[in-house]
Amino acid sequence: MNGAHRLAQIPPGVQCFVGNEARRRRRIEEAVLAVFEGWDYEEIIPPLFDYADVFTGEALSAKTYSFVGRDGSVLALRPDFTSLLAKIAAGRLRDRPAPIRLYYSGEVVRYEPPRAGRQSEFFQMGLEHLGGEPRAADAEVLTIAAECLEALEVEGFVLALGHVGVFTGLLAGSGIGGARLEELRERVEAKDARGVRRALAEVDLAPEAKSALERLTTLAGGLEVLDEAAAALACCPAAAEAVGELRAVAEALGGAGLGSRVAVDLGEVRGLDYYTGLVFRVFVPGLGFEVGGGGRYDTLLARFGRPLPAVGFMLGLDRVALLLGRQKGEAAPSTSSAERVTGSDLGKALAVARTKRAEGARVRFGNGGGQ
Amino acid sequence: MSLTVALSKGKLLSGTQELFRRAGWPFPDGESRRLVVPMGELRYLFVKDMDVPTYVEYGVADCGIAGRDVVLEAGSDVFEPLDLGFGGCRLVVAVPAGSAFSPGSASTVRVATKYPRIATEYFLGRGISVEAVRLAGSVEIAPGLGLADCIVDIVETGRTLEENGLEAIETVVESSARLVVNRASFHARRAEVQRLVETLEGAVR
Repeated sequence: MNGAHRLAQIPPGVQCFVGNEARRRRRIEEAVLAVFEGWDYEEIIPPLFDYADVFTGEALSAKTYSFVGRDGSVLALRPDFTSLLAKIAAGRLRDRPAPIRLYYSGEVVRYEPPRAGRQSEFFQMGLEHLGGEPRAADAEVLTIAAECLEALEVEGFVLALGHVGVFTGLLAGSGIGGARLEELRERVEAKDARGVRRALAEVDLAPEAKSALERLTTLAGGLEVLDEAAAALACCPAAAEAVGELRAVAEALGGAGLGSRVAVDLGEVRGLDYYTGLVFRVFVPGLGFEVGGGGRYDTLLARFGRPLPAVGFMLGLDRVALLLGRQKGEAAPSTSSAERVTGSDLGKALAVARTKRAEGARVRFGNGGGQ
Repeated sequence: MSLTVALSKGKLLSGTQELFRRAGWPFPDGESRRLVVPMGELRYLFVKDMDVPTYVEYGVADCGIAGRDVVLEAGSDVFEPLDLGFGGCRLVVAVPAGSAFSPGSASTVRVATKYPRIATEYFLGRGISVEAVRLAGSVEIAPGLGLADCIVDIVETGRTLEENGLEAIETVVESSARLVVNRASFHARRAEVQRLVETLEGAVR
């Protein structure tokens, strides 16, 4: 292999977009950000890196690209926007009264092998609703999520809602932790009832709570699941309260005309470590993995010194682009065709081009060669 | 559009065929070499057993049938709502019969296996340094030839191990056939998926 080839090689996990691909991505971004603006959210352009301890949580820190700064501090490229926005809301925007509505759009990097439509560097568009009445905020964020997908003309999307409090409520007082908790969480998430039973075999927990945990694997479907859940989880007030919160949000979405878009999945117990309440994912037929998701994180801002409940949502641009490519084909986004301008006198030719530009034309300047 | 189901033509095929027929779904005969077989409301894909979870995770297939061992090795993020009760086996650590070798006694265990991911996690999880040598088959001969100290492999009856002078000393995980379901299909095509799950559940013995 010669040196020139080696230098042209790219590292795994990065990608670049050319021409129509780039245009398609910009159009998606513009459509989504217009919805965020339309709901009166304010843009934040956060830094590309920050101190590594801003990005907490085991799941995330294991995937963070961190490095040592010149002063010896440990820094990290942003693997996520939510922690950064929480820090900004608690810091620079500390005096601004809640609720605060913020949105962002940009790349994050995670040390993950390319998988499920995503490279190590990928693009997120999302918003955070900090403070305010929690149920209203949850329903607002979900409604905005639905409007983004409508604006993108995504067909058949479903918002699958879960609540972290169902799982944690059922486990309260059990003292379960570490590898055993992870195993249990993973089996609930896989909807493997037998696996849940096995994982609970040696856990000190009331039999009703154990059978309720096993039931979580089948409490997934339409809104009727909430009624089943209320009966199945009656043994545990904390879990029942979580279901009540979900019901309030689901009913509000029904009132907004989005009932057919809502699914319930009480086995949805994973996600990022900072989620404390509602969690949701956006699924679309034809794409095997979620195109976006979000949830409520009521304790994250307290870490930065401003205790505020919050809820957020994000769409993955890479997955949306992949999905729209499948649903609508890879047609080139429309642009006006370019007018060719050329002339023997370079200065005069450029003057003509400038006039045409001022008239709003798309100009291909011909003096440099090419067609 | 019909639901797509990924299956393997390996050892789970006969159990899968019986299950689908008991559940009332038409199922292709084993003779055909076609890899994509539409049949009524289902479309069957026949792929390599290790690839079933991948097809399902990416949503190319909505559902699939795969051993728990294979799902674990693939590390796929899929739902596993049904244990189908056939294809039962154990993934074990096996060493040459009568050998004094035990994993805890070596500074690094060299293990020959078709399951490098499961084997590596198993030994690391016990605090034992490990070097997984990935083989595509005939794993049983590796210890005798000095390629590895032990193997991690599937055991059904134990005969293959015995014939190759090996004995199982530890069970890594128990496996059986599972119905796996794509996360997006589960919600976005709920009615059809639910019907398949329920009919198969009713036919599990």
